[in-house]
Amino acid sequence: MKYRVVQIEQSIMRKNDALAAALRARFEASGTLVVNLLSSPGSGKTTLLEKTLARLAPRLRVGALVGDQATDNDARRLARSGAPVRQITTAAECRLDCDMITKALESWEPGPLDVLFIENVGNLICPAEYDLGEDLRVVLFAVTEGEDKPLKYPLAFNTAHVALVTKIDIADAVGYDRAAANRSMQEVHPGIEVLEVSAKTGAGMERWIALIEARRANKEREPLVTL
Amino acid sequence: MHELSVALNLVEGVQETAAREGIERVIAVHVRVGALSGIARDALMFSWELATAGTLAAESALRIEDVPLVVFCERCETERSPRAATGLLCPECGTACPKIVRGRELQLVAMEVPQ
Repeated sequence: MKYRVVQIEQSIMRKNDALAAALRARFEASGTLVVNLLSSPGSGKTTLLEKTLARLAPRLRVGALVGDQATDNDARRLARSGAPVRQITTAAECRLDCDMITKALESWEPGPLDVLFIENVGNLICPAEYDLGEDLRVVLFAVTEGEDKPLKYPLAFNTAHVALVTKIDIADAVGYDRAAANRSMQEVHPGIEVLEVSAKTGAGMERWIALIEARRANKEREPLVTL
Repeated sequence: MHELSVALNLVEGVQETAAREGIERVIAVHVRVGALSGIARDALMFSWELATAGTLAAESALRIEDVPLVVFCERCETERSPRAATGLLCPECGTACPKIVRGRELQLVAMEVPQ
């Protein structure tokens, strides 16, 4: 069959990127710092968030959107902190996207927020592709996961602003090789800020909390110019 | 793992262009997929058939152009392709190269339509 070629040249992500820009403008206007948490399943996102919300709640208005393929267990766990929490169940989807965030915000009224945490679906591949309009992308990586994980999932670590090494309280017991892990992280993202934390014992949590507070204060002081 | 939604996005892009240009049938669709895009070729191929069913691109071929990972090495001052599973390391000098030049593409490139 005779055919002709029609050029298109458009990114498949353009719809998500446009929605991300709209979300960014909205969060800019409300002065909300948005933090996107990425990790494999089981790295401790929910526990970290639980403790983070509890520590920040007395000083800042905090809330969370939580993505999972099924169940609202995480949202119920996090709601114990008293902060507004909304579960997004993604069903077949392996990550959150801006369409899901936008829709969740339509029917959720947490009141004005200083910091909105978004707990992504546990997965280090797909979530790295999707801009959610966040200010801060944080990748979590437990000491049990293998020091070469950043090399296996370079995009997640390359696009993150901060890496949190979690479950640091059991580092010695599992033979965590700090130097090797740091080397892997620096190989995919030289200069990435790395914090070691244990949500369970509280080790390192103060630095993490201080980082969030500083970023939030910074956003309030120097709002970015939006279109 | 999100190949089906990527395939649906592609079909949407094809439909928009077709509507604009008065195209009624699509024979093949060309896409560019980067090595770091997180898309598995086979899964995308499989999803294509499902995503196009009942559309003007039904039974069309999906032609995937794989784009290898290319980074810019600051020390060598040139583009390099890291070896597999070495993250973003320059294969020549071993420097970490966080600047990704190619490999993140997920691009709807073109389509073939009857003349």
